[in-house]
Amino acid sequence: MTTHAHRHRGDTALGALAVPALGLYALFIIVPVIMSAVTSLTDENPLLAHASFIGAANYTDMIHDDALTASLSFTLVMAGAVTIVANAAGIGFAMLLNKTSLSFRAMRTVAFLPQVLSGVIVGFVWRYILAQDGILNHILVGAGIIDRPITWLGSPNLAMFSVGLVAAWVLTGFTTVVHLAALQSVPVELYQAAMVDGAGPGQRFRRITLPMVAPGTTISVTISLITMLKLYDIIAALTSGGPADATQSTALYIVKLAFTDDRFGYASAVAMLLLVVSAVVALSVTAVLRRREVDL
Amino acid sequence: MRHNRLLAPCLAAGLVLIAGCSAASTGGKSGSTSLTYLTFETPSLTASFWDTSIASAQKSVPGLTIKKLVAPSTDRDAYAKQLQASGQFPDLLQSITPSTFVQAGLLKPYDQGWVDANFLLPKGNAYKGNVYIPPTNSQIIPMVFYNKKLFAKAGIGQPPKTWSEFTAACAKLHTAGITPIELGGGDPFAASMPLTGILSADVLGKNPSWLQDRYAGKVKFTDANVETAVAKYRLLAKNRYFEDGALGVKYADSITNFTAGKAAMYMMGSWFLGAVPKDHADDFGAFMTPTDDGSLVVPFAVGGSMAISAKTPAPDKATAFAKAWSLDPANYKALIEGDGAFPMLKGKTLADYNVNVTQVFKDSYTYVLNQNTKVSAFGWATNDDSMPSGLNDDYYAASQALYNSDDVAGQMAKLDAAWDKATK
Repeated sequence: MTTHAHRHRGDTALGALAVPALGLYALFIIVPVIMSAVTSLTDENPLLAHASFIGAANYTDMIHDDALTASLSFTLVMAGAVTIVANAAGIGFAMLLNKTSLSFRAMRTVAFLPQVLSGVIVGFVWRYILAQDGILNHILVGAGIIDRPITWLGSPNLAMFSVGLVAAWVLTGFTTVVHLAALQSVPVELYQAAMVDGAGPGQRFRRITLPMVAPGTTISVTISLITMLKLYDIIAALTSGGPADATQSTALYIVKLAFTDDRFGYASAVAMLLLVVSAVVALSVTAVLRRREVDL
Repeated sequence: MRHNRLLAPCLAAGLVLIAGCSAASTGGKSGSTSLTYLTFETPSLTASFWDTSIASAQKSVPGLTIKKLVAPSTDRDAYAKQLQASGQFPDLLQSITPSTFVQAGLLKPYDQGWVDANFLLPKGNAYKGNVYIPPTNSQIIPMVFYNKKLFAKAGIGQPPKTWSEFTAACAKLHTAGITPIELGGGDPFAASMPLTGILSADVLGKNPSWLQDRYAGKVKFTDANVETAVAKYRLLAKNRYFEDGALGVKYADSITNFTAGKAAMYMMGSWFLGAVPKDHADDFGAFMTPTDDGSLVVPFAVGGSMAISAKTPAPDKATAFAKAWSLDPANYKALIEGDGAFPMLKGKTLADYNVNVTQVFKDSYTYVLNQNTKVSAFGWATNDDSMPSGLNDDYYAASQALYNSDDVAGQMAKLDAAWDKATK
């Protein structure tokens, strides 16, 4: 028995182990995507048994759909803004928590907590916090910071801000952990050498920390973007897409189209659009960040 | 061989799971039947209410077991559609909008003879001539509830009858430092209540078949009379007659705000009668949304019970259960006292239900019993005047948008476009 044969058998065994995972991936991801793509070419209604093939009509309808444009714009702006805020905050928290004492380890757990909670629960909790007579307004009025309660969820602009704030709060838990893991792999000697060479904190951050955590940043940014592009649960519980559809993400709009407007076919077409947009955004950002990793 | 041994139990378990997930089942040794019943919960219609009412009606149908399903939100229609899409359409569906489902052939009508024999308005919620939900009770949507003490404090003697009296009362209250109108605008349906009152009074009051005319393309939301009515709502918002930040107030909080005396008026469905505090119920009164000329228009909706799936495997048992539930006196008592429902059973008076209701309930019920101009409550009717599928959400969104925007024409044009798309 040669080493080559051993390795070949090992590869085969590993391949066999991957089969169930690949099967599940195909069953729960690939097949539904294909089904959705097929449905997007029909006029399927969830209440009716039969659907007709209508070609690309659903896709051409999107051009004149103002609600889709609004929801897509909101989703993209929110994805960009929250990704930047959550990752900037994540790097900051990671640097603060990059200590080995027990209390810091406990704080790391607290920092990750928002990520562990269900989006629906997060949405409901924040809905109570941000309500007109919610805790936040009570604190701000009580502290004399504001005269009258702020309508966090009742005016379109503030509701958008509130959604962004809550989503950033949740994602920061994740980005902190990713950046913390990246930071812990940075050799301390690098900082010591930089200090000997007279580098200040700003220079050390720019020249050592940022380049060394760049691979982590790539992962963190990409996953943050994808999470935001498909955001549904937090918004559904926090604002239900209101007021006046101001916080209606594309995912929320898809569900409305399918189960309120009875337009399964069109909803599937919008879902396909969201898939393509998400893929393009994620791949583009990953490519840019990977190039940046090399430059750094 | 070993694989086959494993495969067989796995397949069997899978089949059992699939069978367990199916909507209904019949058969078995005892001839028992299990049916699913889609319900919803509110602060008034609690889990306990549904369990008790189901248990009671079940007793009159031997061999029937009801499996209760609870819609995750008050939007029963959307949840029923999700269940239909996943092959789990319920056998019985409480308080849905029949039109959407009837068009898809999913509902079975009740026999008209039974409906005629039992209810005051047998055709009150008929859709295309058939009754799909027994007209067990009715609601006025909305009424204008008011706080008598706050009215007196602002020097308002009588509730307003005309629109100009109404706005004058709002101005007086505002000047007196009292919030004129409570609005739970954080929940879209609640945000639309004032607009529903105004449109029902001004548009449907003058043309009760306006919604059917809209289906026929004879009228539009952008018509001058509709825009004039909508502008009234905009004026209320612009003059800050609703509380500050009303779109951030949750529906549940709007109830407690109003009952706690934080606002003088509250435009809400008559189900609010169930939330009127018993210990100071006499502080509250109710009137209809005033019209320009003072004529009385009552925005009305009839329903209250369940629809039957046309696909149910046991239509006779499903119908027997639905009929038993719809006539059960205990349900009426709970619905009247808790949900402010106006009973519509033939030959009964309030006293027959052994209920403990407030004076404002009794006064409000006279609007139902008296001869007057009743029109379908805009966006709430489940008869031929029901809105196309999905349009309610657009209507709610327009109500919220007009709280902050002067663009009445733009919002109405959006509604017209949404209507045309929904009925294409």
